[in-house]
Amino acid sequence: MSEVLVRTSDRPPYALAEVWRFRELLRSLVVRNLRVKYQRSTLGFVWTLLNPLLTVTVLVTVFSLFLRIQIPHYWAFLVSGYFAWNFFLQMVNMSTWVLAEHSSLRRSVAFPPEVLVLAASLARMVELSIELGLALIVLALLHHHAVPASWVLLPLLLLLLWLVTLGLSFPVATLGAFYSDVQHALPIALLMLFYLSPVFYSAAQVPERMRPLYFLNPMASVLTLFQQVLYGGEWPGLPLLLGAGAGAVFLATAGYASFHRRKAVFAELV
Amino acid sequence: MLPSIAARPFSLSWSERRTAAAIRLAAVAKRFYHYEHRTTSLREFFIRAVLRRPLAVRRARFSLEGLTLDIRRGESVAFIGRNGSGKSTALRLIAGIYAPSAGEVRVIGRIASVIELGAGFNPELTGRENVELYGAVMGMKRQEIARHFDAIIAFAELGEFVDEPVKFYSSGMQARLAFAVTVAVEPDVLLLDEVLAVGDASFRERCLARLERFRARGGTLVVVSHDLEQVRRLCERAVWLEQGRVRREGPAGEVTRAYEAASGTG
Repeated sequence: MSEVLVRTSDRPPYALAEVWRFRELLRSLVVRNLRVKYQRSTLGFVWTLLNPLLTVTVLVTVFSLFLRIQIPHYWAFLVSGYFAWNFFLQMVNMSTWVLAEHSSLRRSVAFPPEVLVLAASLARMVELSIELGLALIVLALLHHHAVPASWVLLPLLLLLLWLVTLGLSFPVATLGAFYSDVQHALPIALLMLFYLSPVFYSAAQVPERMRPLYFLNPMASVLTLFQQVLYGGEWPGLPLLLGAGAGAVFLATAGYASFHRRKAVFAELV
Repeated sequence: MLPSIAARPFSLSWSERRTAAAIRLAAVAKRFYHYEHRTTSLREFFIRAVLRRPLAVRRARFSLEGLTLDIRRGESVAFIGRNGSGKSTALRLIAGIYAPSAGEVRVIGRIASVIELGAGFNPELTGRENVELYGAVMGMKRQEIARHFDAIIAFAELGEFVDEPVKFYSSGMQARLAFAVTVAVEPDVLLLDEVLAVGDASFRERCLARLERFRARGGTLVVVSHDLEQVRRLCERAVWLEQGRVRREGPAGEVTRAYEAASGTG
């Protein structure tokens, strides 16, 4: 059990190796996170599924019956992107208080605080996988009447979604540690982003000349990929895939760097 | 600019490993500031950014300066001094919770610490869940935690409270559980801040016995205590801090008596 610890100003690659050393904590936090949510409520997982299902029902009613968006099988289209969006929304919202949740642990034991953000994101990812699993079954049975080959891309899409989400969660967690009103400002920003992202409409409906600007939103390309693969059952174009990949990697790196630069003082902010 | 707390393993030769200090503090400083004003909301942040006002107005409030200390493996050292002299800050620097403002902190081996009442327990989680979480932070495997679990609960005398949230525990129960779980992770370096001041006499005796076993096994102990009698019993060496600086350092008996003489209680 002899290991040597040196505390210096470590750069991100070493900091990530440090997270690996705390994988047991990561695992424990993910399990705890899910257990707290499901064990202590009688309906358990039903609650998590009920919320997106009701939202999807409302959106389908409003946009296919009242506003008449011209997308065939509108429910299938909505299901393809909505769960991914919901993951992003939940996780970014959670990041405002994920550091505060374990503040006493952080003041008593030294461990990399990114573990807390990663654990929250992985717990949400478990939930998303279950939701998507159910969505895939319904889509295959009622929409495609087959299993499209392009669905093998789903793990890659989940990875891109995870990176984009982390890219926003890390700076939000950092801001939340310093400023108390982030949790009030954030829902407004996320609501605006919801309307600027292709969830209840398709990016193809955005006027051509505005699209370069539109796709600056990293969620726009990720959600379009989800819709093309899950709803369309088609192989996405390489430019879109590469663009989304580059955006996701850039955002995750920049977001993590902003967190890493300030994390040393988190334990001193109570 | 700010040094991070991240730790990185590096290799030592076998001979270095045998002779190296367990803890090395080299010219360590930690500075705190009193904030006359601190921007704590985004709204204010934007207003101040537009008006070009400073985000924070601060002046130096307290600092620990020039702490240089080598603690050998198996040694036991106490920090003594008045409230606010920097004892707990020194302990937090060793634990890696605070990053030093200057200097270098180096620790060899697994560190466990009880710095606040309750080893960082989450009040909403049960005693069992907190033990699991703490074990996981210390890098213990699930099976390892499970193996030690009964002994921890027995030592802490929790009984049926083990599945109750920690917020319903008395301060004595929290302290007992914190000590029990910290010792159970079999650390190489154990940091204790005033832990033995709480709990009843019989528990204190059991703690002291447990600490002597820990020392016999070659563990390194660093404590912060106001109980000088206990310091003399438990520690070989004492470091007397005064206003963030080392006033005197040496054999525990000598330093504690000098401290007593200076504070007029001896």
